[in-house]
Amino acid sequence: MKDKLSLYIHIPFCVKKCEYCDFYSLCDLSLMSAYVNALITQIESFRPVAKGRTVDTVYFGGGTPSLLSGEDMARIMDTVRSVFHIEDGAEISMEANPGTLDPNKLAAYRKAGINRLSLGLQSADSEALKRLGRIHTREAFESSFLLARLEGFQNINVDIMYAIPDQTKKNLSDTLDYVISLNPDHISLYGLRIEPDTPFGMEENIEASIADEDTQADMYMEAIAKLEAAGFLQYEISNFAKPGYACKHNVKNWKCKEFLGFGPAAYSFFDDKIFSYKKDIDAFIANPLKIENLVDTFEYLTLKSIATQFVMLGFRLRTGINVEEYEKRFYDDFEARYLEKMKPFIEKQYILRTDTGYRLSKQGFLISNYILSEILEFE
Amino acid sequence: MLFMKGMAKYMQRQDKIRNFSIIAHIDHGKSTLADRLLEATQSVSSREMEEQLLDNMDIERERGITIKARAVKVKYEAEDGNIYDLNLIDTPGHVDFNYEVSRSLRACEGALLVVDATQGIEAQTLANTYLALENDLEILPVINKIDLPSADIAGVRTEIEEVIGIPAEDCPAVSAKTGLNIRDVLEKIVTDIPAPSGDEDAPLKALIFDSYYDSYRGVVVYVRVLDGDVHAGEKIRMMNTGAEFEVVEVGYMSAFGLVPAEKIAAGEVGYITASIKSVADTRVGDTVTDADNPTDKAFPGFKEALPMVYAGIYPADGARYPDLRDALEKLQLNDAALTFEPETSIALGFGFRCGFLGLLHMEIIAERLEREFNLDLVTTAPSVIYKVTYKNGEVKYIDNPANYPTPDEIATAEEPVVRGNIITPTDYMGGIMELCKERRGIFLDMKYLDKTRVELHYILPLNEIVYDFFDALKSRSKGYASLDYEFDGYKESKLVKLEILLNLEVVDALSFIVHADKAYARGRKIAEALKDNIPRQLFEIPIQAAVGGRVIARETVKAMRKDVLAKCYGGDITRKKKLLEKQKEGKKKMRKLGSVEVPPETFMAVLKLDDE
Repeated sequence: MKDKLSLYIHIPFCVKKCEYCDFYSLCDLSLMSAYVNALITQIESFRPVAKGRTVDTVYFGGGTPSLLSGEDMARIMDTVRSVFHIEDGAEISMEANPGTLDPNKLAAYRKAGINRLSLGLQSADSEALKRLGRIHTREAFESSFLLARLEGFQNINVDIMYAIPDQTKKNLSDTLDYVISLNPDHISLYGLRIEPDTPFGMEENIEASIADEDTQADMYMEAIAKLEAAGFLQYEISNFAKPGYACKHNVKNWKCKEFLGFGPAAYSFFDDKIFSYKKDIDAFIANPLKIENLVDTFEYLTLKSIATQFVMLGFRLRTGINVEEYEKRFYDDFEARYLEKMKPFIEKQYILRTDTGYRLSKQGFLISNYILSEILEFE
Repeated sequence: MLFMKGMAKYMQRQDKIRNFSIIAHIDHGKSTLADRLLEATQSVSSREMEEQLLDNMDIERERGITIKARAVKVKYEAEDGNIYDLNLIDTPGHVDFNYEVSRSLRACEGALLVVDATQGIEAQTLANTYLALENDLEILPVINKIDLPSADIAGVRTEIEEVIGIPAEDCPAVSAKTGLNIRDVLEKIVTDIPAPSGDEDAPLKALIFDSYYDSYRGVVVYVRVLDGDVHAGEKIRMMNTGAEFEVVEVGYMSAFGLVPAEKIAAGEVGYITASIKSVADTRVGDTVTDADNPTDKAFPGFKEALPMVYAGIYPADGARYPDLRDALEKLQLNDAALTFEPETSIALGFGFRCGFLGLLHMEIIAERLEREFNLDLVTTAPSVIYKVTYKNGEVKYIDNPANYPTPDEIATAEEPVVRGNIITPTDYMGGIMELCKERRGIFLDMKYLDKTRVELHYILPLNEIVYDFFDALKSRSKGYASLDYEFDGYKESKLVKLEILLNLEVVDALSFIVHADKAYARGRKIAEALKDNIPRQLFEIPIQAAVGGRVIARETVKAMRKDVLAKCYGGDITRKKKLLEKQKEGKKKMRKLGSVEVPPETFMAVLKLDDE
């Protein structure tokens, strides 16, 4: 029997682009309804693929999915349900920006089946929010959060960032205290990365305003301590959750399970192929079925390369690599391949042994790129 | 009477020959002028002519300099109605190749002195002009680039007269670029440069001014025949090396290649092939004579071109050591001045200690190895040759800092010094004098060339010149100052060996010899440069500079703390894989020194210490 499938649906619209963001999104909201129609057409076209497959997670990402009206969300979800078999208790997440939510919308989303909300706070400091180019304030976030609770959302994530320009350890610690005080179910903590084609990337000397490597490492370690003390368990490099609230969709991603993406710029990993659609909303709206016009990258992955990806992503998780799972799935001897190269890291406790295999320690998480570039083999 | 008649016969023949070279500073248009001369004599049509015919190595063309001399013979119908053979002998334009220049000049009776009408005379030109004057050459000034709006023809005429002391009143003013007045130059060559006057009946005496290896013919030797003649089948001897060969072919260099002839005789410029396997047997400046009927005296002034600068050259990939050896052997076929011998470094593995005429020569060789032989190299800091007298009286020349003895073994240490000749606009004189002082220069004298330019003479330690002296000179004079130097001898000096320790271990490839007073400053700079070049690793890496076991500078590369991708969803996965793959490749290129990983460019980066 095949694994359960995950779906990713991209909503490439924003009220305003943030200074750091390099995701594909547009600010021309007039295309929204045409876009939703195209999306529905594309999802419909997957009916043959969907046959016999159960879906256990759906994720709306962006952009800003909360720019979708309640009706549009309902139409999309109806389509999804008519095409795929969505199992009972499936996790259906959406990203939402504070300031784009109201009680009616939230109620409509709930009704459409959304049961997990991810709110992008980033920082509780108004200066930092301005610097990031966010449209919301801390107050707007707080009312969105409380409204969502009122509308019955039992599973809410809050995104926080560190290494924001001019952010101090104190700023970060205050934001963490504040978020913890709201008692969400899940917290993501991301280090800001300066991407080249963003306003931040083009800003001269921006690096000078960002905490240095050592301070960032301190910020990260102190944040982990604080979050874990508050009952949020670190289950992935950047993700923390109350017991039972880890994001199923993302965990499946890191375990190299299959997912289908819809909309421009979306990636899919399906049937040993990894492919993505062009960042071209016009082409998508013009004909969402003309696949040859839409596909951007397409790669067939060998079992070996999936195995490498499995190790690369598995080490992101607190549970690490389950050796038996690895060997059954890839017909490969994990220790024969990796143990020798892992040894220096095991000695220094960057890599720890577990009952079922190996995982990175917190210090290991912090230098995971270095470790992975040492141990992984690429074709 | 019969004798006189005979003389007259070949005087007449030689009367129609003119041998000359062109002296010019880089960029002053030597190659372009050579092209125009060839064009004007219809040796080549402009369409056939590759842009600059005489320079035929890629690197030369890119850098706009001539590395090895080339020669070409053209026929010119002068206004007097006679047809003349003009032999143009090209000369290298860089101080590293000074000796080769002097040999090329010796093969001529005259030289065109090309002066840029917008720039005036430069150090290089002046040095070569003096060489030409010493060799009794007729100097024919040619003012070039008169098409440029900033050309100052009258000013340059005055400068030539004042600085060099030769009349320039009616010298040709041309634009090699547009071809303007090129015929004037050709006429001047015919009327002003003396014809050769060798003794055709005397035993063969020919001067080697260049040679190159050709895989079909063996070494092709370029000679100027001074006396006698040479023909195929003749047994010849190289008078300084003693090597003997049987001539296979002689002939002339035309614009299109070699043209065989029955013989080449006194006064002429031509080539000889004799199944010679190595240019080491055909040293520039050596005299060729008839082995059975030798001339009594070799042409004076032969010097073996000796390396002045040494550096370790290692393959970045140790497995390519044999390829590097083959490549060096191939280059040496054409470059007798290049020396190399195997060397082992703890840090870098197997490589070669290579000797070069100077820094430019070194850069050219390294570039050719990388470009023509597709090698990735790690090059260590260049070193000069130190002369050490041991306490037991033994004298050693040391070209590798790794072999430098400890202070307690040394009685006296000496370093090579050069006589430097710097020409600069007076505006930058102060800064340059300061630079020379910083570089331990001893001021000799100075001479105002005109109101705006001055010529400074210094004795400078060569080891100060191999450290970015040219760059510093250029940056302090906005590129206007020029330097020319020649070896002056050895001078006792307070020298110390500066060792660099990474993670408490001495790295042999990074140690070098420095004057005691400079050790602290240089040690600190190198430690800083290393800190900026070595990426953070899993552990803290102390970088120390030490003299005689005493640490004089310290920096620390802190342990790596953070190298993580925060977000990894969907499309990030593919990107992350690529990123890690790149990271892994970068690491593969690193050199492992003890437990420390060092990027290969570090070894050169410590050389490029910014001058302020």
